[in-house]
Amino acid sequence: MKTDRRSFIRTSAVAGAAFTAAPFIRAAAPGRKFRTALIGCGWWGKNILKEAMASGCCQTVALADVDATVLEVAADQVNALSGDTPKTYKDYRELLAREKPDIAIIATPDHWHALNTIAAVAAGAHVFVEKPTGHTVNESRAMVKAVRDSGRVAQIGLHRRIGPHHVSGIQFLKSGAVGEVGMVRVFAHGGGDVEKPAPNEEPPDGMDWNFWCGPAPLRPFNKRIHPGGWRNYLDYANGQLGDWGVHWLDQVMWWSDGAPLKRVFCAGGRPVRGAPVLNAKEQTTDAPDHQIATYEFEKFTCVWEHRRFADNNSEKHKIGAYFYGTKGVLHLGWRDGWTFYPAAKSGKIEHGAPQLQEPDGHNLALLWSDFMAAIDARRAPVANIEVAHRASVLPLLGMVSWRTGRSLAWDAATETIIGDPEANGLLSRPYREPWIYPQA
Amino acid sequence: MRLRKSSARGHAQLAALFLAAAPLLAHAADWPQWRGPARNGIATEKGWLDQFPAVGPKIAWRAQVGLGASSFVVAGGRAFTMGHADGKDTVFCFEASSGKPIWKHSYPAELGDKFFEGGTTGTPTLDGDRLYTLSRWGDTFCFDAATGKILWSVNVQKETGCRVPDWGFTGAPLVLDGRLILNVGEAGVALDKTTGKILWKSGDKDAGYSTPLPVELGGRTLVLLGSSKSYLAVTPVDGKEAWRAAWVTEYGVNAADPIVSGGRMFISSGYGKGGALFTLGTGAPDEVWRARAFRTQLNAAVLHAGHLYGVDGDTTSIGGIKCLDFATGTEKWAHKDFRVGALSMADGLLLALSGTGTLVIAPASPAEFKPTATAKILDGKCWTAPVLAHGLIYCRNTNGAVVVVDARKP
Repeated sequence: MKTDRRSFIRTSAVAGAAFTAAPFIRAAAPGRKFRTALIGCGWWGKNILKEAMASGCCQTVALADVDATVLEVAADQVNALSGDTPKTYKDYRELLAREKPDIAIIATPDHWHALNTIAAVAAGAHVFVEKPTGHTVNESRAMVKAVRDSGRVAQIGLHRRIGPHHVSGIQFLKSGAVGEVGMVRVFAHGGGDVEKPAPNEEPPDGMDWNFWCGPAPLRPFNKRIHPGGWRNYLDYANGQLGDWGVHWLDQVMWWSDGAPLKRVFCAGGRPVRGAPVLNAKEQTTDAPDHQIATYEFEKFTCVWEHRRFADNNSEKHKIGAYFYGTKGVLHLGWRDGWTFYPAAKSGKIEHGAPQLQEPDGHNLALLWSDFMAAIDARRAPVANIEVAHRASVLPLLGMVSWRTGRSLAWDAATETIIGDPEANGLLSRPYREPWIYPQA
Repeated sequence: MRLRKSSARGHAQLAALFLAAAPLLAHAADWPQWRGPARNGIATEKGWLDQFPAVGPKIAWRAQVGLGASSFVVAGGRAFTMGHADGKDTVFCFEASSGKPIWKHSYPAELGDKFFEGGTTGTPTLDGDRLYTLSRWGDTFCFDAATGKILWSVNVQKETGCRVPDWGFTGAPLVLDGRLILNVGEAGVALDKTTGKILWKSGDKDAGYSTPLPVELGGRTLVLLGSSKSYLAVTPVDGKEAWRAAWVTEYGVNAADPIVSGGRMFISSGYGKGGALFTLGTGAPDEVWRARAFRTQLNAAVLHAGHLYGVDGDTTSIGGIKCLDFATGTEKWAHKDFRVGALSMADGLLLALSGTGTLVIAPASPAEFKPTATAKILDGKCWTAPVLAHGLIYCRNTNGAVVVVDARKP
């Protein structure tokens, strides 16, 4: 599952070109392009923006990033690709106020998603924001409210909601071919080892590190955090569970039509990576190197597992979801597509080939196309805010259980933890001044 | 103006002059340093096989050196490279003709697998009977090239306090007039090549990933370096900056060495940046043309008879070989689907290794790309240019599989 996450501009048609969306033809106002802005100009943000440019429906008018060099590079790349000359901003609030974009793409780290999204829809923009929705549960709830109140379209980056082999895999499940499914196992495994601390440094010239940290705690700058490493720092994200976990738990929500969670228990730690280090001189990551979370639903149980060591070569599939049914096991995966292993000895293995955009193995073009169509048709997109909220809450609750070390009973109707004030307190977190935690 | 001949003596006459001396004496067909005798990616050797037998090329030897993209240096019948395995970097010395191990030296080093498999990225430098190496984390060694005995070693990162860029120090050491110049810090650092003592250093900013390139310019010697936000020139005596061309690239990956010819400098980076030609004078360089679609991410192009030949694209892209007119930046041809491999040249022929391990030989011509020989010799990812020395073509992949193709005429 190692991928190189650095590619932005490619020279020619990608291998998976067959699975990119056909250019979306806008029914309403066909000549006019959406004034589009990108907030957070890292690798993934630019991948999304590239789909916006490729769709032919968007003009890139502005970019925001707290690192002046990153901004300069992104503006140059946009110009090379589209001829657009976007204005650049350090502060997303200034961008929204001055540019009034039709669309804001938000690809900041998780701890910024809520504030960015709420400000963007309040400024009248449709939003494409990365998963997970929030960093804590109540941020996610505030995002749902803000999007609903605004009447804007929000698409969340759960491209596995529209990826062709996911669509056919879920169809296969829903057809009853797997029988009664009583248990699901979702997982993401990779290799890894002991972690040595990396030295803290001065932030790069032209980067406002204080702003990058924003509402989250201000850690000393460290290259292991940025660029590209913040997912394993719990101040800014929620480790593997808050990354891959969202995608695969969303597949479970899709299959189960959003079954309400009843109870969760999560265990895990850093027996291999080692105890987290954070001092003035150096630091390590602090996300668990493995976690197991058990999610109890009325009609089935779902287990999440991740391990960042012992790269699991003993199993056929290293990532994805196993749906265990009376007629067999369906594995829904990534680059291995989906595979059905029938229970009956006489049964035939069935396979759905992966259909992905390479080299990164996603389906962003399709997701972007659906976003455009949803805006024009004034309908909900496939990975709308309610869908993404449901999928994001599961890992976030897993993290609360892991932090408190106990099983949590969840009231899905009120979105509160039953009889546990301390755990309920962890559905939010204190913000660093001057930032204010958003309210649902 | 011409490229300064380095102290590694790539020059035929020089070599002839010293022919009777020590066993590691340089020879015209040697490749004693990164990018070859003239630091331009071109071997001086002629008369080697430009075609392979129907059954495939003859393989002289194979070896396993560990993870990384380090290239080879070859002189005095010995070939050197580096690799990483099990928490250690290893410097290898092989008998060039047979691959027989002569000596090796290992030292603890981080794998450094940020966005790739990790391992060594720098290349050793031969200077007479000495071999110099720089690790991604600053470990600098001076070896007796014949025996592997350590003559001195120092961690230049710890000594200077200069930060390590995202992918570590990668440029090969440059030996110039008694100094060892390294791409460490914002604008390089110089050590006394006989003692390892720091002579001068630059600011604590990210280094780029290019190899220091000595050039004669306006009657003086300058050393060109890719830094994280520019390509710049320093005077080798004191490290004083002469000029810089602002060149901001994603992640600060200014890796490809500049190409200097006729008072002009070509630079190019990946991540959609592209290439540009500058005129050089005493002040800041002036841009002449820009070529968006010629992006040399890891390895520089070669300049031959007024044309640039190089690999365009990022390691994750389809990649391709392209030919551009040096004076105008006009693209002459593009050969796609090459992945991001690397190339060198000898005797008017391109010697290219595709990103997936296919060795290709083709005349360097602006008219067309028409290979005379093609052979799949490696699997995995190949990010290292083939090195031709004494009729042998040294190739490797990032997993450390080394394949040496015998291209000597029978």
